[in-house]
Amino acid sequence: MIQFERFTLENGLKVIVHRDTSTPMACVNILYNVGARDEDPEKTGFAHLFEHLMFGGSINIADYDNALQQAGGENNAFTNNDITNYYLTLPATNLEVAFWLESDRMLSLAFSDKSLEVQRSVVIEEYKQSYLNQPYGDVWIELPKLAYKVHPYQWPTIGKEIDHIKHAVMADVKAFFHKFYCPNNAILVVSGNVTVDQVKALSEKWFGPIPPGNPPMRKLPAEPKQTQSRRLELERDVPVDAIYKAYHMGGRMEQSFYAMELLADVLTDGNASRMYVELVKNKKLFSEINAFTLESFDPGLFIISGKLSEGVTLEAADEAIQEELKKVSLAQVSKEEIEKARNKTESSLIFAEMSILNKAMNLAMFELLGGAEENNKETEKFMKVSEVDLLVEASRVINENNCSTLYYRSKSKVNGNGN
Amino acid sequence: METEINLDRRTMPAFGKQTKIDIQHAQESKLANGIPVYSVNAGTQDVVKIELIFPAGARQQGLPLIADTTNAMLEEGTTKHNSEEIASLLDYYGSFLETSAHHDYASVALYTLGKHVSKVLPVLEEIVKEPSFSQSELDIYLTNKKQRFLVEDKKVRVVAARNFPALLFGDNHPYGHATKIEEYDTVKRDTLQSFHKTNYSANGCAIVVAGKVKDSVLNSLGDSFGGSNWKSADAQLNGKTFEVQPSAEKKHLIVKEKAMQSAIRMGRMLFVKSHADAIPFQILNVILGGYFGSRLMSNIREDKGYTYGISSGIVYLKEAGYFQVASEVGTDVCDKALVEIYKEMDKLCTEPVPDAELQLVKNYLRGNFLRSMDGPFALAERFKQVWLHGLDYSYYEKYVATLADITSAQLKDLAGKYFQKDSIYELVVGNKKA
Repeated sequence: MIQFERFTLENGLKVIVHRDTSTPMACVNILYNVGARDEDPEKTGFAHLFEHLMFGGSINIADYDNALQQAGGENNAFTNNDITNYYLTLPATNLEVAFWLESDRMLSLAFSDKSLEVQRSVVIEEYKQSYLNQPYGDVWIELPKLAYKVHPYQWPTIGKEIDHIKHAVMADVKAFFHKFYCPNNAILVVSGNVTVDQVKALSEKWFGPIPPGNPPMRKLPAEPKQTQSRRLELERDVPVDAIYKAYHMGGRMEQSFYAMELLADVLTDGNASRMYVELVKNKKLFSEINAFTLESFDPGLFIISGKLSEGVTLEAADEAIQEELKKVSLAQVSKEEIEKARNKTESSLIFAEMSILNKAMNLAMFELLGGAEENNKETEKFMKVSEVDLLVEASRVINENNCSTLYYRSKSKVNGNGN
Repeated sequence: METEINLDRRTMPAFGKQTKIDIQHAQESKLANGIPVYSVNAGTQDVVKIELIFPAGARQQGLPLIADTTNAMLEEGTTKHNSEEIASLLDYYGSFLETSAHHDYASVALYTLGKHVSKVLPVLEEIVKEPSFSQSELDIYLTNKKQRFLVEDKKVRVVAARNFPALLFGDNHPYGHATKIEEYDTVKRDTLQSFHKTNYSANGCAIVVAGKVKDSVLNSLGDSFGGSNWKSADAQLNGKTFEVQPSAEKKHLIVKEKAMQSAIRMGRMLFVKSHADAIPFQILNVILGGYFGSRLMSNIREDKGYTYGISSGIVYLKEAGYFQVASEVGTDVCDKALVEIYKEMDKLCTEPVPDAELQLVKNYLRGNFLRSMDGPFALAERFKQVWLHGLDYSYYEKYVATLADITSAQLKDLAGKYFQKDSIYELVVGNKKA
């Protein structure tokens, strides 16, 4: 349960304040309502590249990091398919420095050519480090492409291909900034050892004068219902075969999300989970297996991924997964299993509220998704999922015609000189 | 909209420097059998972390992988419950375990909501005192670990991290040994059992508790772990002394033909954490590669774009300490990156750190120090980070004082002492061509 207050500036900036006096620190989190789903299909990876450029100097402040570090602060940011989120923590006594820094880069960037040039290279190295030079790294490029044919979730946040990043030019950067980085497209959350009055005064002072923009209405094409099983096989230089199955499910605020999150726990979370016991321990078909949702805002994916034990074929592994899933849709998830999953979720939500940063991020995300108060309904929503709800949702989602399956084959195995 | 005539956006607002920082100390008590309990009662949430620490790390293990495997197998079944039943019991209360074996010690930690402590503590007691080391569970564990090893072996960063310490300590030293896949086949059940018997006992055990620590929590700890029935007669608490055998060659390359990036590790042996140079060197390290604005980040990422990230750090072990730089860079710019890293170290030896930069680092570190003490689990960590090295809270007082007093001249001398190019070991995993 997070207590908070909310107000909106004249220019449309929404501000949320959560006071926690048990810490000497303050956290400032700014969410911009733009993610990779808002990109031009021919210029993907831009929201993320842009996030890097936000640290390349703003109109009045040459070096964001330098100034923040002076004030004892630490910061970072992330971009995903849905949002771009910037956050910092610093001693609460230095709160105004954060307002000064964040408001200036919302007002305008410096648009330095050098920064664009360097960050293009940095992001290309990030692309290699996270996707291309990692075993199984390109799964997260290939699998979304298979599962989504229309919706922009079909490309990863880092971009479809390195060339899209290489070809980014300053005109794109400026257009992107003016389109999305305005007060009425942002949510500011301040948490920690602060007062509401203090945050109000600082918000008016630093953000109040920034003119509002005209952020576009988001009109993304809905992904049509998948009616046929999709399959892809890749052969790569990896030591063991792996399988990935992605099923379409509901969006973050739909009941589907809560049911499928619990189902993921029932299936693979911990030593007592179904698939772990059955497929890793008893049948020894997998060395590891994981079920999870991508937590995306628009209708997302429920994914099962597993690495196969030596000597097991992908076909047999696939069949075994389907068999376990069939048990779920045949009403065999017990009351106790769901109760365990719910209790685990309740407990992890309580642990998550130990940090002012987590609290600020969650308030910002829920504010965008329908209202920050939604954050405090999460536990209840999980607790309300019954065995029947889970069964109904699982039956709707778990279906080969709703699934994209990726067989990721080990090249060394194919050539017969494996292990 | 209002005009901003009166708003000066060019001048940084006034800020404080956190010169006085109070640290909440862990409170020491003892169980009836003498086990020390260090508790940090803090925070707003009704949660508790109970961590048991044993002298059961690599330094005590004798044979490879014994410390790791013993530690990991604790969750995999006891004389009363199998692996699934143990997990089920904890899941039901939303509690979870975190086990880890390190070079000098091993740890078993339980996280739980305060209201369930009395329900789940007996589970922690059971897995610590009565693990069964079932052969079939052990076989599954080892088989799957080998699979994971093969996958990890494809990551240049992992291979570099695994092999670098061997250059400093030698492969026979527990601090330097790089695990080989064949070693998983040498792990035997009875070795684990006897290691457990001698090293997971009341002798040498310590408990760190953090969160909402009520008296009832401490009483429950006494019930579970305060008895005299789990002392070991032949406890091997400190392990043997090992000879350090550094590599004769300074530069090493492990070729991964198809790599798109090379992982770089370079560094040198330092000293234990209680050494007089420890705190000043920590500050010097931050300037070089210990924060986002560091010399290495500014040059190699923010100026040249050779990498997504580069950092330097110090690893303090109980009997030694070492310094290392780590990065992954494009293979085509690997040589250039290496040149720049040496250049940055050399610059610290020859040119004093400018006042503005030193002031910035001091401010940053003071804020960071405050941040590192935020919340009960962080406070417990601060305690462990001195206690494990035989130090006490006066270390932090000394740290704050050094931060206030240290000068550019002292840092330059220190760099001259530790950053001489010919003292630096270098490991590249990947390749050095375009």
